[in-house]
Amino acid sequence: MNTNNLNYLVNSLYLIKPELVISAIIVLLVLVDLIMLKNKKLLPYISIAGLLIAGYFIIEHFETNSFAFSTSSSAGMLIVDPFGNFFKLLIVFASILVVLFSVTSVEIKNSLDRHGEYYALIFGMILGMMFMASASDLIVIYISLELVSLSSYVLAGFTKQSLRNSEASLKYVIYGGISSGIMLFGISIIYGITGSTNLYEINSLIQAPQVQSLTFLLAGILIFVGIGYKISAAPFHFWTPDVYEGAPIPITAYLSIASKAAGFALLIRFIKVTFIQSIDPEGFWHLLSIIDWKSFIIIISILTMTLGNFAALWQSNMKRLLAYSSIAHAGYLLLGLAVMSNEGITAILIYFVVYAFMNLGAFFVVMLIANKIGSEELDDYKGLSSSTPFLAVSLSIFLISLTGLPPTAGFIGKLYIFIALIDAKMIVVAVIALLNTVVSLYYYVKVLKHMFLDKSEKEIPAISTSYASAVLLIAILAPVLVFGIYFTPLVDLAKSSITLLGF
Amino acid sequence: MTGNNLIQIALIILFLPLLGFTVTLFLAKKVKKIFLFETFILIVSFILSVALVFFKLNYFSQTTFTGEVNWINLGSISIDLGVMVDNIAVLMIFVVSLISMLVHLFSIAYMHGDKRYNRYFAYLGIFTFSMNGIVFTHNILMMYIFWELVGLSSYLLIGFWFEKKSASDAGKKAFIVNRVGDLGFFSGILILFATYHTFTFDKIFHQISLGVIPFNSEFWLTVTGILIFAGAIGKSAQFPLHVWLPDAMEGPTPVSALIHAATMVAAGVYLIIRVFPILTGNALEFIAIIGALSAFIPATIAITQNDIKKVLAYSTVSQLGYMVMALGVGAYKFAFFHLVTHAFFKAALFLGSGSVIHAMHHEQDIRKMGGLRKKLPLTYATFLISTLAISGVPLTSGFLSKDGILAGTFAFGNLTGQWFFAFVGFLVALVTAFYMFRLVILTFHGEPRDKEKFDHAHESPFVMVMPLVVLATLSIFIWYTPNPFNPEQGWFLSKWVKAPTIVTPQDARYSFLKSDEIKPEANVPTVQNVPAQTTQEINGSEEEVTFSKTYTEAMEHAHIPAMMLSLGLAGIGILFAFMFYQWKKLDPDKLAEKINPLYKLSLNKWYFDEIYDATFVALTLGISKLFAWFDNYIIDGIVNGSAALTKQVSNFSGKFDNIVVDGVVNGAAYLSGIVGLMFRRLQTGKVQTYIVLVVFSLVIILFIFKSF
Repeated sequence: MNTNNLNYLVNSLYLIKPELVISAIIVLLVLVDLIMLKNKKLLPYISIAGLLIAGYFIIEHFETNSFAFSTSSSAGMLIVDPFGNFFKLLIVFASILVVLFSVTSVEIKNSLDRHGEYYALIFGMILGMMFMASASDLIVIYISLELVSLSSYVLAGFTKQSLRNSEASLKYVIYGGISSGIMLFGISIIYGITGSTNLYEINSLIQAPQVQSLTFLLAGILIFVGIGYKISAAPFHFWTPDVYEGAPIPITAYLSIASKAAGFALLIRFIKVTFIQSIDPEGFWHLLSIIDWKSFIIIISILTMTLGNFAALWQSNMKRLLAYSSIAHAGYLLLGLAVMSNEGITAILIYFVVYAFMNLGAFFVVMLIANKIGSEELDDYKGLSSSTPFLAVSLSIFLISLTGLPPTAGFIGKLYIFIALIDAKMIVVAVIALLNTVVSLYYYVKVLKHMFLDKSEKEIPAISTSYASAVLLIAILAPVLVFGIYFTPLVDLAKSSITLLGF
Repeated sequence: MTGNNLIQIALIILFLPLLGFTVTLFLAKKVKKIFLFETFILIVSFILSVALVFFKLNYFSQTTFTGEVNWINLGSISIDLGVMVDNIAVLMIFVVSLISMLVHLFSIAYMHGDKRYNRYFAYLGIFTFSMNGIVFTHNILMMYIFWELVGLSSYLLIGFWFEKKSASDAGKKAFIVNRVGDLGFFSGILILFATYHTFTFDKIFHQISLGVIPFNSEFWLTVTGILIFAGAIGKSAQFPLHVWLPDAMEGPTPVSALIHAATMVAAGVYLIIRVFPILTGNALEFIAIIGALSAFIPATIAITQNDIKKVLAYSTVSQLGYMVMALGVGAYKFAFFHLVTHAFFKAALFLGSGSVIHAMHHEQDIRKMGGLRKKLPLTYATFLISTLAISGVPLTSGFLSKDGILAGTFAFGNLTGQWFFAFVGFLVALVTAFYMFRLVILTFHGEPRDKEKFDHAHESPFVMVMPLVVLATLSIFIWYTPNPFNPEQGWFLSKWVKAPTIVTPQDARYSFLKSDEIKPEANVPTVQNVPAQTTQEINGSEEEVTFSKTYTEAMEHAHIPAMMLSLGLAGIGILFAFMFYQWKKLDPDKLAEKINPLYKLSLNKWYFDEIYDATFVALTLGISKLFAWFDNYIIDGIVNGSAALTKQVSNFSGKFDNIVVDGVVNGAAYLSGIVGLMFRRLQTGKVQTYIVLVVFSLVIILFIFKSF
């Protein structure tokens, strides 16, 4: 290895500073856990500190546009660009909130002796998700996906006391294993045809007209299975309700935001980098005609949101209801991709920020309630407004935002998706999405009805919240309302973050 | 101190009262003394506004600063929010902060013991915030938003004692009457936005000066101006929407002083000042007529009223009419000047009446007062100074500003030959002096008519008297000009307040407002906007030109005669007041009998409420009755008449309803349910099923897409 190569590696290490910080924290967490057997109080502090440092490094190099670990001048294993950095920042943000949730969660507190591995596994997930957001090589894609999956399998079954935890975890393992197997099969086919695993190289190779389109279609869809399972797009979503219901609430919240965000980052990058032919001045993409991704994504997204919304109608468990709602939201988000334009991607980024706040907030309230009454059943929410108005009102605002009604941030998120659809003249799809929103109103409002209109048969104790929790809740609540009224910063951030390296 | 600092101070002043409101409202029940926090906030905000006024007028008196942020950016629609700090705004904010602070202090004693004490202060906070918003806004959309917010706070405070039916009714009346005006205002804003795609004043002015006007017609520019003015008619209680203001006196007296005398009702005048450059000659004439009617009618009503606050309320409407009329005849500077001086002396009068009412244990009828001079010496002194000011007696601020307005109407008469406005102006000056001194004499002079209440009366505590003294002091000329007979020589008018550059097309203006041969440079909106006046100042600083040379000369000529005439008329008014009520040389009751119809007209407030009840209210009720009748007779008649037919059809229709319509409606819900159940059925909980489903759907997807 000559000095040139060495310099290359060192330079690349500079580019992945945030990931290095996360890796170091994993080691640190395990060590601290080993040394201080009794005192587990330190672990969340280390986690938060590590996340803040990583976040700082991401912001510091937000505008970078470069390959890391390049194999040639126009291709590398990883890409550092604003698009990836946006998602990394979102992941770090969600992680901070989830660490804070974990501190307050009774479920997690009950297994105090294994806290070291809990936080270490969360950081394992973070590392994997960060690599997902910047991977540009099929091998890196696969490895990062597996890293995330393996950590989340364990986290889903973390509280071993309950049977449904373990069941969820096992289902998750089997389902995830098969999905990643299918994906690997797709990757191997692509490698077989092109002889390369790098997305950029594949892109230049398949520009040639003699590419076998059926084989490529097969490979593309097989790879989509792997990613679709991460973002819980129908029909690869079956694990979602079971795992969401079984896992501890902080982990459920985490899966619904962070791993979904990483999955979307990966999906958008995979499709755009691999299949792009040209981008016209209005920002619309022209993809290679090997696979009709546009129709494919439209079908998948309509299927996903319809299935999510309709199945949610019947749920009587809050976690399951939110699981289906998160499936439906994946459908709305996919619409932004289906537009196949920069405007659509902007809409997705805006939606993700908004979605992070409102969904994490909703899960947080559900967790605070579950901490006290030990149940997530909708029937136990009856009369909540009179016993604990603060939580009831907060949850209502989050749910109204999830529905997408003004003046909440959820409205702005949906508004931008719909504008993108209409600008792309996809009116029929927009109407279907709108009808879906109407359906979703029913089950969100059903929760409100339980809280505000229904009287409980049994006496409900007032649910006291600690000051820290109340402050955290308000901190999540405020942006949901503020972004509903003043959203220009959000839009500007999203617009500046759609730059993918090379485009 | 730079422009940015000024904008920061302005933003702090703007948002401090909002903080006060939020904190006070949420802690109202928990912390007894939270009203002190709200008062403290207002004191801070007053100190900041003093700093703002000082720096702005001393160092940047020729510069307008704007700070804006992009609020909404959706495709072709881009809406900016922002603040504008110019001389008018800082002077106005000084007035608002000062009076608001004094009213807070006054209320501490006046409202003591009220069961919603803290909430009252919270409401004052939201009012001050909204009013500050109106003052600082640099666009008409924010103006509208804050406009509605002051409307809301006014509603809350008028109906503060909502247990009293008259109070809650008055609140509702104020709110509904204002809606009528706001409808016009809103339509005007819509026309502006449709034409210019922006709400920002500067940008709108700039485009008009380039010749872009709504629907390409000067007529529509006039209509737009009048529609926007409709908002001012409502908020400033101008004829014919003035009926809400006297009723609004049901609110606590300090509120009347702050909102319904000094600041909020002046917002209408402030709005016209802000949009003055776009008003065409025809629109201005309309405004002048409305102003003249509003100055005259309430003045005649005030003569016969016996409720101390009602007299003051009608005099407020009348004085606001003065300002509006002044704007209409082009006396822009004096309108704003009168706004400021009126704010001080009218606030002093209202707070003074509050002090009297407080001393008399909530007695408001002046027929039961009298002789209070001895019991309330400080209140009397301040009340008298303010009365002198409103009557236009020399050495007071009111004399200066009123004289300017009268000179404006005089000049207008000279230039156009229309002497109507001058006539009304002078007549109202006479009447004002009369009814104000009637009020003073009946309240403070003579013998006490209610001995028992008189004996219990006592001077108010310090926090109530101090605001009176401050406000009365501000009603003396020295703050505005060194020469008590010529306001033009003062810093207020010569340095601080400048008439704006009019942007309407030349032939749509009053003839005397047309630009002179030296055309001022177009008013280009920039972040640091230098008004066009600066160019003129450099050219000839000795000769100050307002609008045009013709107009300036006419104003100069009108000054002396107007002053003499108004002095004489005020003197006559005061003399008659003393003849009637102090020396009893003339008997008001006999006079009233002699001109009974006129007396009745005035006493019954020109029957406006009755007319509105008989027309608009009755019409609304009538229409609803008509619909009810239509429903009962026509519809039911048709239904009954076609009963036979219906019987035949109903069988079929019933079936159709049950099976088809209900079927569709229920079916949709049912289907949704079924679909949901179906999807749920897929979720067996068995992982092997899931895997099979995945593989199965994979095959289907491949099959669908293989043709591509």
